[in-house]
Amino acid sequence: MRNKLKLLATASGVTVAVLGATPAFAAGTASGSSIVNNATINYQVGGIAQTALVASNTITVDRKVNLTVAELGTTTTSVSPGQTNAVTTFTVTNNSNAPIDIGLTVAQLTGGAAPHGGTDAFNVTAPALFLDTNGNNTYDAGTDTAVSFLDEIAADAARTVFVVATIPGTATNGQIAAVSLTGQAREAGVAATQGAVITATAGANTAGVDTVLADVAGTDDAITDGRHSARDDYTVAAPVLTVAKISRVIDDPINGTTNPKMIPGATVEYCITVANAVGAAAASNVVITDAIPAQTTYVTGSGWEGGTVAAAVCSGGTNTATFATGTFTGTLGAIAAGATETAYFRVTIN
Amino acid sequence: MIGLKQLLVLLAVLMPGTASAAGNLALASTVFVEKAISDRDGRVRMVLSEPKTVVPGDRLVFILNYRNTSAATASHFVVTNPLPEAVSYQGTPDQRALVSIDGGRVWGNLAALKVVERDGTVRGARPEDVTHIRWTLNQPVPAGAKGTLSFRGVVR
Repeated sequence: MRNKLKLLATASGVTVAVLGATPAFAAGTASGSSIVNNATINYQVGGIAQTALVASNTITVDRKVNLTVAELGTTTTSVSPGQTNAVTTFTVTNNSNAPIDIGLTVAQLTGGAAPHGGTDAFNVTAPALFLDTNGNNTYDAGTDTAVSFLDEIAADAARTVFVVATIPGTATNGQIAAVSLTGQAREAGVAATQGAVITATAGANTAGVDTVLADVAGTDDAITDGRHSARDDYTVAAPVLTVAKISRVIDDPINGTTNPKMIPGATVEYCITVANAVGAAAASNVVITDAIPAQTTYVTGSGWEGGTVAAAVCSGGTNTATFATGTFTGTLGAIAAGATETAYFRVTIN
Repeated sequence: MIGLKQLLVLLAVLMPGTASAAGNLALASTVFVEKAISDRDGRVRMVLSEPKTVVPGDRLVFILNYRNTSAATASHFVVTNPLPEAVSYQGTPDQRALVSIDGGRVWGNLAALKVVERDGTVRGARPEDVTHIRWTLNQPVPAGAKGTLSFRGVVR
């Protein structure tokens, strides 16, 4: 049998209403709604149709409180030491069949496995919670507002919440800080006011609307405790710089450039090498300063910056490094992971 | 899962539903929540209880008890039960039952019914498509005879 459902739907408004009435929400039938079941008997006695008989039964749907907290995204947040506004992002969803408030708390792990691998090694500073006010899933400082709870969240509705923190300047490359966000179901009803914690109806069932806690266990909470939680983490990406200073004698007044010795009047080249370790973050705005020894005199125009080093001899770069009031300054700029740059200059021994 | 039919007889006695009687027949409709309970040995039993706590996802058993209270035999016995909006049909143990997915216009076994989707594709009807269930008793119901009809649903 093929049911011409489409045809029927256009032909009969009643049918449309019946078909369209199916609730398609994950949260399910709203709390407090009645399920009315009517059964009708048609029958005959002695061949004569009798008045149809209807039996009715009504039950009330109770409140099923359920919420989920989940990380938005699947990767760690890469941060720099000292960074402000370091953001991890979570989605908080009301899966209850009634509106609720959701209280929010952020906590930090102390050691232990971090959610994206590795081990929690430090704490971020002053993690604060912000609501994604403009709904773009991106933290906009000054636009997104600080929150301690989510107000009047409808059944099946979700909000994006940011944990915004400062990374301590002492954090080092590769270190991980894990945070957890916990949402707790609270009574809705009064806008802009956080309601009381929702608890399951204690003791015997009542004929009215009971409350059942139906949440699952999160990373930092138990099953059916009216809470749910998830974790995310920050991973520090910092340059790992190694600085070395080498020197070589270029010439002396007696031997010239052939096997020169460190005697007064000799010319010495100092070279400062800066290496950034493989796997580290790129460094930028790297500047070398070097106060030259008092027993030496800077050779005017001998300063180079952005050069390379090979077999303890520095070369290349540009002849633009400067010298002023006894201090050499070489600007190296950005140094990628695994790269080495140099600045070098010459002095004469007094 | 428990034998539904055996339980129904017992429950019909225990549970006063909303009954109505007109002339020759009495009809009562009751609803129970079906829950899985694990016993100490880890075996799972299905238990029917009063529907005081009902939340989305709960399994319901709807039971209709009828009785011919008159001295005459009733015939052409047809019981029609529209599914409540918030209940998704889950089947009936009764082979005599036919279902409708279009508000009671076309009746048949669920497997025989087809749904035309908005985009024109045709698929077999699923339990959640059911809008009505109907039992047609071929045998007359003699004076004093009684019976039970039932179906399962889940709260949407």
